Amino acid sequence: MIYFSELKGKDVSTEDNVKVGKLDDLIFLASENPRITKLVVEDLSGNKINISIDHVKKINSNVLINKNYSISELEENELFLLKNIQDKQIIDLKGNKVVRVNDVVLQDKNGLYVSGVDISLLGIFRWLKLEKYFHKLANFVNYRPISQFLSWADIQPLELARGQVRLKKEEQKLEKLRPEDLADYLEKTNVVNTRKILKILDKKFAADVIRSLNINYQTSLFKYFTPEIAAKFISLIDPDEAVDIILTQSPKKREQIIRLLGESKKTEINHLLKLSNTPIGELITTEYLTVSPEETVKSVITKVRRDSADFFTLLNIYVVNKDNQLIGVFNIHELLLQDDNTQVYKFMIQNVIVVHLTTPVEIVIRKMFKYHLLHLPVIDISKKIQGIITMVDVDKFVVEKL
Amino acid sequence: MRLFWSKYKRRLLLFLAVFGPATITAISDNDAAGVATYSLAGAQFGYSILFILVPVTLLLAVTQEMGIRIALATGKGLGDLIRERYGIKITMIVFSVLMVANIGTIIANFAALKAALTMFNLPILPLFMLIVLGVILFVSKGNYRTNQRIFLLSVILYFSYVISTLKVDVDWGRAFVSMVNPAVVQFNKEYIFAGIAILGTTITPWGQFFVQSYVIDKKLTIDKLKYSQIETYFGSILTNFFSFFMIVATAATLFAYGIKLQSGEQAALAIKPFAGEMASFLFGIGFINAALMGIIIISLTTAYAFSEFFGYTGSLDAPFEKGKIFYGIFTLQLLIGAAVVLLPFISVFQIVFFTQSFNAILLPFIFFFLLKFTNNKELMGAHINTKWYNIFSIVSTVVIILAAIFVLISSVFGL
Repeated sequence: MIYFSELKGKDVSTEDNVKVGKLDDLIFLASENPRITKLVVEDLSGNKINISIDHVKKINSNVLINKNYSISELEENELFLLKNIQDKQIIDLKGNKVVRVNDVVLQDKNGLYVSGVDISLLGIFRWLKLEKYFHKLANFVNYRPISQFLSWADIQPLELARGQVRLKKEEQKLEKLRPEDLADYLEKTNVVNTRKILKILDKKFAADVIRSLNINYQTSLFKYFTPEIAAKFISLIDPDEAVDIILTQSPKKREQIIRLLGESKKTEINHLLKLSNTPIGELITTEYLTVSPEETVKSVITKVRRDSADFFTLLNIYVVNKDNQLIGVFNIHELLLQDDNTQVYKFMIQNVIVVHLTTPVEIVIRKMFKYHLLHLPVIDISKKIQGIITMVDVDKFVVEKL
Repeated sequence: MRLFWSKYKRRLLLFLAVFGPATITAISDNDAAGVATYSLAGAQFGYSILFILVPVTLLLAVTQEMGIRIALATGKGLGDLIRERYGIKITMIVFSVLMVANIGTIIANFAALKAALTMFNLPILPLFMLIVLGVILFVSKGNYRTNQRIFLLSVILYFSYVISTLKVDVDWGRAFVSMVNPAVVQFNKEYIFAGIAILGTTITPWGQFFVQSYVIDKKLTIDKLKYSQIETYFGSILTNFFSFFMIVATAATLFAYGIKLQSGEQAALAIKPFAGEMASFLFGIGFINAALMGIIIISLTTAYAFSEFFGYTGSLDAPFEKGKIFYGIFTLQLLIGAAVVLLPFISVFQIVFFTQSFNAILLPFIFFFLLKFTNNKELMGAHINTKWYNIFSIVSTVVIILAAIFVLISSVFGL
């Protein structure tokens, strides 16, 4: 993990030590997967040139590039780190100002990409090159400053959008969000509002949002939907999840919806529905560990030693926020690969595969095989972790099938 | 006829809807330090110093107009733009200097308040506590509208200077002629310094920050630009309309009888023998009002600037929970200001001196930013500075910067 503040101004030279200039900015692809594509280098005569990341040999204390590098042009969907993200205002969905981007966090795993932004005071001190002194001072008064990190998935950099038709902008603004995040937001408003917003979204995107809503919310939402609309959404949602939703509706409505589905979808859902008589409530175990995103590897390992001594096994460690909601996961192997002082948020996986208390066992098993996971966390409607369900807990169902 | 009337009624209503920010900012530029400077200048140079008012009005209007235009065209405060365009390092420097200068100015205003209260033989400590508490309550609990109403009420209180002056025997003919007749200008060191000091207390870094933040907090839109511009000129004229009376009051009394003032705070007391009990009282009330206005507006400026620089919610409309940092910074400055003035072992004089230095150092940079922003096509779109406007604002800026540097040098060498 690298901070942009540490990279900016670094010397850029070729492998045979010919100085090219200083690193001025980075160019990234503005998408779900914000890969760094080019470096902006201020060359010795003060001109800014773009060099593709493919030419880069090494990035750490200095930047080394290929001898025969070439200059490339800015392409579509490419944005600048410095110009478009660094120092920009972060606002929440309701338009409230939250904080500014103090630093940009880059991840160097299978290529360099933006993993998120640092919004803490430490980010400011890092730019001022005073981070060390700040730590010392903080130590002196017994205060431990921690980086506050906003993941790329959570943020939508406020852009200068002028001269646009307002209504359309609203819609676009919503679509740029991840469905999970929009769902989070919608859960805080009422159903009427949610339907209004879903109506203006692209159907596939809306289906993704619905999929991410909690089960209670899905229930009341589908109560409002006509069977036609409900069927349309069901056909767009992954069958595993779709069954969860259909089960919440009255048998009559269930039938109406299924009748409207396409032939192959219908068979699949019917098949799954037949299996869905065993809830997982009795199968879950509470032998799991949770940590906070700011904890260091060192303290996590201490926790593992102390708290999991009498566990049957421990594969994953779950990351929860202050409200005890599940926000990340990592396995023991990933943990051991990190340095002692690395904080958890820097390497945790944020896209956690979960099941609900109401999820039928068959679907749990399907998920385990689909994602090659031996343990799955079980969450309640407010995303709080309730326990985990392991392959061992469900093996008799698997054997039955065989 | 009715059609004619309805056309203007609509315009008047629109004007009233945007009315507030420019006037309040301009008036608060006449804080206690400003009033004191005018009183001193009037007492020392008489009517002849009135000549300085026209250029000051013009310069104030031009600089404020740039701030308002940036705010409306970009929807951003000066703090926002500096952070986004110049990065963290510059931000930290500008904010630190601004904060120190602002706290210094707040202290100066508290000191003036203390002097005025002493003059009226009022108890300092309980009144300070009452004022600080009251101000915190109405700023944090009230919304933008209620706050603006109270500020406008304070603007009206400046009329006490007008009434006070009307009680004095004034040579009106000479006063008006002095404003436009270059022959009255005295080309000596003291006169020039006085003129520059007036300019330096009227056009300030915090004034530039405040007007922009305050326009944004009012949530005005660019289509109202014309009305806001009119208000800017109105505000500048109104401010210097009051300044005119401050000068005339002391010119017609103290200058006429050759009495020299030691400091501006004494003006209210000093004019008593010539202007009477009532005029002296009103002059004192005006001074207290000016100090209060300065304290509140400057504290707000720092709070707004901090929120903009670091991206927190900073609005008078924000509920306390959301605007904790904003209100916290506002409160902290009031407490520091009041405490420093109440502590007997701190020399307010030195603090005021350093404040002026900080303001003078900061001002050229602020105008550099203002000119940069108003000439940036990407930011301003169609509202970019025109060529003539640019020349005029650059000349104004140079004059203001020179003035600031002069004030600084004069205080360093005790001229």
